[in-house]
Amino acid sequence: MVSNHNVRRSGSKKMCALLFCALLIAIALSVLLYIYSRTYAKANRIGLQLTKNAFNSIMYRTLPHLLGMSVSAIIIAVVSLSFQTITGSRLLVPSMIGFDSVFVFAQTVIVFILGAESKLFVNPYVNYSITAGAMIAISMCMYGMVLRKRRNNIVFLLMLGIILSGILRSSASYLQVIMDANSYNQVRAATAVTVNNMNVGSIYLVAPIMLVVVAIVICRHRTYDVLSLGVANAKNLGVAYEREVNFNLFLIAIGMSVSTALIGSLTFLGLLAVNIAREIFKTHKHLIIFIGSSLVAVFALIFGQAVTELLQGAVPLTVIIDFIGCAYMFYLILKVNKKS
Amino acid sequence: MIEIKNITQAYGRNKVLDDVSFAIHDSAVTALIGANGAGKSTLLGVITRLIPYISGEVYIDEHEIKSMKTKEVAKKVAILKQTHHLGVRVAVQDLVEFGRFPHCGGRLMDIDRQKVEESISFMDLDNIRDRYIDELSGGQRQRAFIAMILAQDTPYIFLDEPLNNLDIRYSVEMMKIVRSLVQDLHKTVIVVLHDINFAAAYADYVVTMQDGKIVSHGKVDEIITKNKLDGIFDYDFNIIEHQGRKVCLYFDSNEKDSLA
Repeated sequence: MVSNHNVRRSGSKKMCALLFCALLIAIALSVLLYIYSRTYAKANRIGLQLTKNAFNSIMYRTLPHLLGMSVSAIIIAVVSLSFQTITGSRLLVPSMIGFDSVFVFAQTVIVFILGAESKLFVNPYVNYSITAGAMIAISMCMYGMVLRKRRNNIVFLLMLGIILSGILRSSASYLQVIMDANSYNQVRAATAVTVNNMNVGSIYLVAPIMLVVVAIVICRHRTYDVLSLGVANAKNLGVAYEREVNFNLFLIAIGMSVSTALIGSLTFLGLLAVNIAREIFKTHKHLIIFIGSSLVAVFALIFGQAVTELLQGAVPLTVIIDFIGCAYMFYLILKVNKKS
Repeated sequence: MIEIKNITQAYGRNKVLDDVSFAIHDSAVTALIGANGAGKSTLLGVITRLIPYISGEVYIDEHEIKSMKTKEVAKKVAILKQTHHLGVRVAVQDLVEFGRFPHCGGRLMDIDRQKVEESISFMDLDNIRDRYIDELSGGQRQRAFIAMILAQDTPYIFLDEPLNNLDIRYSVEMMKIVRSLVQDLHKTVIVVLHDINFAAAYADYVVTMQDGKIVSHGKVDEIITKNKLDGIFDYDFNIIEHQGRKVCLYFDSNEKDSLA
């Protein structure tokens, strides 16, 4: 019996390794497709010969984009999974309950109070630390309070998030209306980032932060395993639950602030990536799902962007991801309801 | 030895535990009984640090619980709550391995594997160790969770209404397991029970609670008496003896006639 059992275990390990390889190959292929779509496909369409110089200069702009997409995809995936674990829900991701509107609001307030020329706004490092600080403070207050008192009350959490993001969004747009045109343009430039219009300059700030956040989360994957057993079991097994939740909200706020600043809000990417990874790997081990969902997210983002470029931007990538993500969320809600 | 001194806990103005003090007997089964809302589960939660308390002290082997690290507490006391809904799909063996978390932080060494194996075979889970928890019957699931707590290897085990949702056969089996934890493994078990007859049959000591206070504490025979139980449950009990064991009858003997 025991040996049988070990066979099953090593079998699933091999399976995981194979799946990781398959995902890596898929990512490599979609990177190639992305490069092709930006170089040869474009050149063909315009009818220009692709010279080596032109290729190089396009690549010079493409590589930071690839890096940016990978970095934010990884952050979004990791942060979404840790958020799902502490909320005990497979349906929630941080941006769904308004993390990204906190970002827009913070940017607007900085510019409104201090002006567009203020060092606090122009200097990316200072700007991000203020924005991240605001996001941390707000999220800790709101979600810390909610998660502690009304644990597992997902409806309440979602409602609070919708109201919060509604308030922040409308107050941000009110401030944007009454500020002067120059400041308004500055705010738009900082907040209207999307996958196509990435804030490439900030990547050298975001990438190290991503590495730190991901490293911290992955080092603690065993704690996440225990947290997923629920509050009572986690406490019984000696996890300081409240401290863990606060620390995670802190990490999530940092991750969401930098990824929103870099690539804008991708509400459903995290939901899709984490749940697809769960379906593929069929394990409760966070280490595997952390890596798996990061790979899935990177693949989805780069492949989607490559397709978008091939279609000449006829359909923006965010629309595709939101559409698929939305449909998938419906499916999940229906499935969960059926079970209970 | 676990000693509780002057514990008070309140939700808002409503005192759930009111100046509770008692000491738990080692290597014995202590049953905690009382009406709904008497504070039994809260008391269990307080002793195992699931719930914070307002004032008082809890000593585990002469260490105050607040001065201990969470991990250290988890090596001393284990608690099993009545809800066994897990957010994740784990197999029995994985669940039991989680029990080693306070000792090894999730990185299983040889000693941990050995403990896991011992718990699995003690709870007779060998042939279902690869099954997922949500596929098991209520009794099997309960055994899997007990195995996790056994792997945790704590001298003190707290069970919060372990007989909930179990049928008669599994309830009896469960209580036999509780007895064997004390007899074979010399654990100290504190168990919240709703059915007084299970307490009368399987516990060594009984603690009765009412309105957040401990009313009486003593050996089974001293507590399971008409005098004491009537007051606690606010009900007219009929206690008979059958083959040397006390059995409480809850129903009116005339009830059936009056219905007919």
